[in-house]
Amino acid sequence: MKRIVLSLILLELVGQVCAQPDVGEIIEKANNATYYQADDGRAVVKMTITDSQGRERHRELIMLRKDVEDGKDQKYYAYFVEPEDVRDMVYIVHKHIDRDDDRWLYLPSLDLVRRVSATDERSSFVGSNFVYEDVSGRGVNEDIHKLLKEDDNYYVIKNTPKNTQNLDFAYWIVYIDKNTFLPVKAEYYDDKDKLFRTIEALELRDIQGFNTIVREKAVDLRNGGNTEIVFEDVDYNIGLSDDIFTERYMRKPPKKWLR
Amino acid sequence: MWLVRLAIRFPKSTIALCSIITIIMTLQFPKIKIDTDPENMLSKDEYVRVFNDKVKKKFSLYDFIVLGIINKKDKNGVFNPVSLKKIFEITEKIKDIDGVIAYELISLSTKDNIRQGGLGEVLFEWLMAKPPSNEDECIFIRDEALDNPLFKNTIVSEDGKAICIFIPIKAKDLSYKISKKIEDILKFYKGGDEKFYITGLPVSEDTFGFEMFKQMAISAPLAGLFVFLIMLLFFKRVRLIISPMIVAIIVVLFTMGLLIWSGNIVHIMSSMIPIFLVPISVLDSIHIMSEFYHNYQLIKDKRNCILKTMENLFLSMLYTSLTTTAGFGSLAFTPIPPVQIFGVFVAIGVMWAWVLTMTFIPAWIMLINEGSIEGFKIAEIGNGILSKISRAIGKFSYYRYKLVIVITTVIIAISIWGILRIQVNDNPTRWFARGHRIRVADEVLNNYFGGTYPAYIVFDSGKEGVFKDPLVLGYIQRLQEYLASTGVVGKSNSITDIIRKVYYELMGGEPQYNRLPNNPKAVAQCLISYENSHKPDDLWHFVTPDLSEANIWLQMKSGDNKDMYKVIQAVNEFISKNPPPVELKLEWAGLTYINYIWQKKMVVGMLYSLLGSFGIVLIMMVFLFRSPLWGFISMVPLTITILFIYSLIGMFGKYYDMPIAVLSSLTLGLSVDFAIHMLQRVRTIYAVRKDVLQTLDEFFGEPSYAIIKNIVVIGIAFFPLLLSPLVPYKTVGFFMFAIMFTSGIGTLFIMPSLVISLKRHMFVYSESVRCNSLNCIITSLLVSFGIAFILHKYRIMSFHMLTAISIVIVSILTVLCNFISKRCKEGV
Repeated sequence: MKRIVLSLILLELVGQVCAQPDVGEIIEKANNATYYQADDGRAVVKMTITDSQGRERHRELIMLRKDVEDGKDQKYYAYFVEPEDVRDMVYIVHKHIDRDDDRWLYLPSLDLVRRVSATDERSSFVGSNFVYEDVSGRGVNEDIHKLLKEDDNYYVIKNTPKNTQNLDFAYWIVYIDKNTFLPVKAEYYDDKDKLFRTIEALELRDIQGFNTIVREKAVDLRNGGNTEIVFEDVDYNIGLSDDIFTERYMRKPPKKWLR
Repeated sequence: MWLVRLAIRFPKSTIALCSIITIIMTLQFPKIKIDTDPENMLSKDEYVRVFNDKVKKKFSLYDFIVLGIINKKDKNGVFNPVSLKKIFEITEKIKDIDGVIAYELISLSTKDNIRQGGLGEVLFEWLMAKPPSNEDECIFIRDEALDNPLFKNTIVSEDGKAICIFIPIKAKDLSYKISKKIEDILKFYKGGDEKFYITGLPVSEDTFGFEMFKQMAISAPLAGLFVFLIMLLFFKRVRLIISPMIVAIIVVLFTMGLLIWSGNIVHIMSSMIPIFLVPISVLDSIHIMSEFYHNYQLIKDKRNCILKTMENLFLSMLYTSLTTTAGFGSLAFTPIPPVQIFGVFVAIGVMWAWVLTMTFIPAWIMLINEGSIEGFKIAEIGNGILSKISRAIGKFSYYRYKLVIVITTVIIAISIWGILRIQVNDNPTRWFARGHRIRVADEVLNNYFGGTYPAYIVFDSGKEGVFKDPLVLGYIQRLQEYLASTGVVGKSNSITDIIRKVYYELMGGEPQYNRLPNNPKAVAQCLISYENSHKPDDLWHFVTPDLSEANIWLQMKSGDNKDMYKVIQAVNEFISKNPPPVELKLEWAGLTYINYIWQKKMVVGMLYSLLGSFGIVLIMMVFLFRSPLWGFISMVPLTITILFIYSLIGMFGKYYDMPIAVLSSLTLGLSVDFAIHMLQRVRTIYAVRKDVLQTLDEFFGEPSYAIIKNIVVIGIAFFPLLLSPLVPYKTVGFFMFAIMFTSGIGTLFIMPSLVISLKRHMFVYSESVRCNSLNCIITSLLVSFGIAFILHKYRIMSFHMLTAISIVIVSILTVLCNFISKRCKEGV
C-alpha cells in the first residue's frame, strides 16, 4: 500500500515537472523565433505613428538583418525611404549580448556619420512608440523570468529586470504562442503595477517556413499615442555580406538590397 | 407707505413671513456650486478661450504649478548629492499626485539630454537618471543642464543655486488641492539647506479663490460685528440695534440663497456679495434709528413716531436704494459673466434690503415694549458732541460758502490730475497682500529663473513642412533674440532651440555649429535624430507633427497686464519692421495673455458701466427732484467722491485692477445716498419754513447728525478689512471708508454752499406753478442720451441674458420713478 502511495506521489512529481517546461527555455525559443529567423533577412517596414489627437505620421524604411550567431550578436541596417526629406538616412546597429550595442547614424544632408548611443535601449525608435529594444530584442539574460500561467494557447511569463537602472518599466509580461513561440502580446508595468505600454502582434504569416510577425502595434497609455508597423516583402536567407553593415555602405547604400 | 402701514399693523406676521422666506433661501445653500477660476471671467465661448484650449490641445500644453527649490548655503547650490536626492524623490512623489500629468512633468530627472559621448559620438541620456553620489556627478549634471538652451533658466538657474519643477495639471481648479499635497510631500524634506517655493498662475488663482471664500466667511461677519459695536455706542439699546443687524443677515442669506437657487455658480466675484450687502443694508436703518430717536422725544408714541419717521424718510430711502440698485444693476452691461451675476444679485439684495427696511424694522420696533425705548432721551444727550460737530459744520458751510466752493474746485482740479495718472494693470498674484507666501514665492522664483508666467505666440502657416525651412526658423529665432534684447520676457523657448542644440551636438559640439542648419532636409534630419531620444514627444510642444504650426513659449517674470502688453507691443513692433519670409498667422495664447484680455475687457466694461450708471442715476435724480438743477446738484458729492478716490489711486501709484474696477459701482451706488437724504430733507423743510438759512439750520440738526453717524459706523466698521490677507478685501475696507467720508464731507460742506449760492434758481418753482419746459427738455435729452448710450454698447459688446433682465429692471425702475415722482407732486 505504502509503495503504491509513494509511486503515485512520484508520478505526480514527474508529471508536474514534465508539464512545466523550463521558463528559460521558452524565453530562449521565443527570442530565437522572433529575432533570429534564418541567417539573414530583409523587410520593408511601414510605420504609422498616431498621436492622441489622431494625427498620423508615416515612415518607410528597409531593414536588413544578419545574425552573427543565433541567439547572440546581430547586425541591422535600416535605410530610410520616407518621409522624403530623410531619404537615404541610414541606421546601423551592431547588437551585442555582453555589452552595449553600437549604433551609427548617417545624415545625408549633413554628410555626417555619427555614433549614436544611449545609456539604455529604451529610447524611441525614430519617434515611434517602439523603443530600440523592441526592434532588436531585449537580452534574455537581463531579466528574471517567471511562468505566471499556461493555457492551451499561451505561456504567460513575467520578466523582472535584474537591474532596474535607467529603465522606464518595473517588469513586463509576455504572452508566448505555444505553436509558433512568437510573443503575441507584451505588457509593460511601472513600479506602481500600472500598465502603461503594450505591444501586440496583429498578424502572423508563414514566410519561407518561418513564422513571422508581419503587423504589430505599440500603444503608449501615458500619452495616448500608438504606432503600427507593417512588414512587407519579407525575405529570408538572402545572403547578405558583412561589409554592408559598415560605414562605407552608409554613405553608399547597397542598391541591390534596397529595391 | 402702505407696505410700512401693513407691517406696523401686523408686526408678528411680518417677522414670521421674513423668517420663512429667509429659511427657504437658506435651505438652498447645500446646493452651492463654487468656481474659483478667474478664467471664467470670460464666457466659455469667448474666442481667446476657445483658441487657448485649441492651442493647449494641439501642442499638448498644460497649465502648470511651479515648484522652486533653492539652496543658497552650499557652494554648488542645489547641485550637491543631498539636495539632488531630495529633488529626485520629490519629483517621483509629485508624479503620484492625482491630477498631475506625470508624463509631462518637467524636472531634472524627467528630461532627456543630448550631449557628446565618446569620440564622434552623440549620446541621448536622462539628465538625471538617478540621484548622483558625488560632487563631480552633480557638477556634471549642472553643466549639462546649463549647456542646454531648453533647460537653462527654465529648469536650472544660471548660478546653479536653484532648480524648478514645472508640474502640469489636468485642471486649474485642482491646483490648490495639488499644491497642498505638494506641501505635504515637502514636509519630509524640510530642515535642510533647501528652501521650497510654490507658485504659478493656477496656484495663485485657485488659492485666491479658496481664500476669497474663507474671507467671505470671516470678513462679512466681522464687519457686521463692528457695525453692531459702533451702533451700540451711538444708540445704546441692543434690542433696537439688533434689528438692522438681522436685516443685514437676512439680506445676505436671501441673496446668496437666491443666487444658488437660480442655479448660478458662486464665482470669486459673487463671494464678495455679502461684504457689499452688509453696509448697504445697515445704511437706511441708521437713518431710521436716528430719526426715530429724534421724533420719539417729540411724539412719545411708538406707532405714530415710527409712522412719522418712515414718512419723512420714505422717498429718500426709496431713491437711495434705487440708485444703489442702478449702480450695481448696470454691471449687467459689462461683458464679463461673473460681474454681471454679481451686479444683478447685489441689486436684488439692495432692493430686498429696502423691502425689509420698510417692513421688518417698523415691525420690530412695534414689538419692542415701550418701556425700553423710554430711556432714549438720556442716551441722546450722551451723543451731544456729534450734534455739536454737525452744527459747526453747518455754520461753516453756509457762512463760508465761497471758500468751500473754491476749495472744492481746487480739489477737483487736483483729482483730475491724479486720475490722469492712473495706470491700468492687474495680476492675480498681486491680489495677495505683500508677504503672502504665494507672492514671496513668485518674487523669489522670478528672480532666479526666466519666469513663471507663461504666454505662447502661435504661428500658423497653413502649409505642411513650413517649419523646417531655415528661413522661417531663422525668423523665429530673430524674434526670440529681439524679445530677449528688449528684456520684456525672461526667456523664450521654441523649436529653433531644439534644432540648434541637436545640430550643434551632431556636428561634434563645435561652437561654430551653434546655429540652425542651412537647408530644410538638414533640419528634418536633425528633428528625426532628436526623435531617437527618450522623449521624442517633447518636440510636439513646440511644433505640430506636420510642421505647419509652431509656437514660442514665453517665460515672463511678471504676470502684470502692463508687462504682457509690453510684450505684445514688442512683438508687433518686430513684425511690422521685419515681415515674415512666408505668410504666417500670429496669435496669442497662455494664461497670462488670457488674464490680460479679460482684465482689459473688464476695465473697458467697467468704465462703460460706470458712465452708464452715472447717467441713469442722474436721470433718476432729475425725476426725483423734478428739476435738472436739483438733479445736477445731487450728483456733486458723488462726482467728487469718484474723482477723489480714483485720483488717490492714481497719485499713490496703485494700479486700477479688478477689485478697484468692481468697487466703482459701489462708489456710485453709495455716494449719492447722503445727497438724496439731504436734498429731500431740505426740500420738505423749505416747504414749511420758506427760508433757506432756517432750512439749513434745521437740516444740520437731526438729519445731518444721522449722516455723520452713518459715516462713522460704516467707515470705521470696515477698517478691520485692511488686515485681510487679500488685496480685494483691503480695497473694500479702504473704499468703504473713503466713500463714506468723501461723500459725507461732500454732502455736508459742499451741498449747503451750493444751496446758498444757487438758492434763487433752486427754490423758484415752488412759489409759482409754471410750465417747466426747460426742465422737460433737459430731462428728455438726458433720457435719450441714456438710451443711446445703452444701445451703443450693444454694437460693441455681446448680448447676454442678464442684459435683457437688467433692461427690463431698469425700465421698470424708470417707470416707477416717474410714477412716484407724480405722486410726490400731488402730495406737495
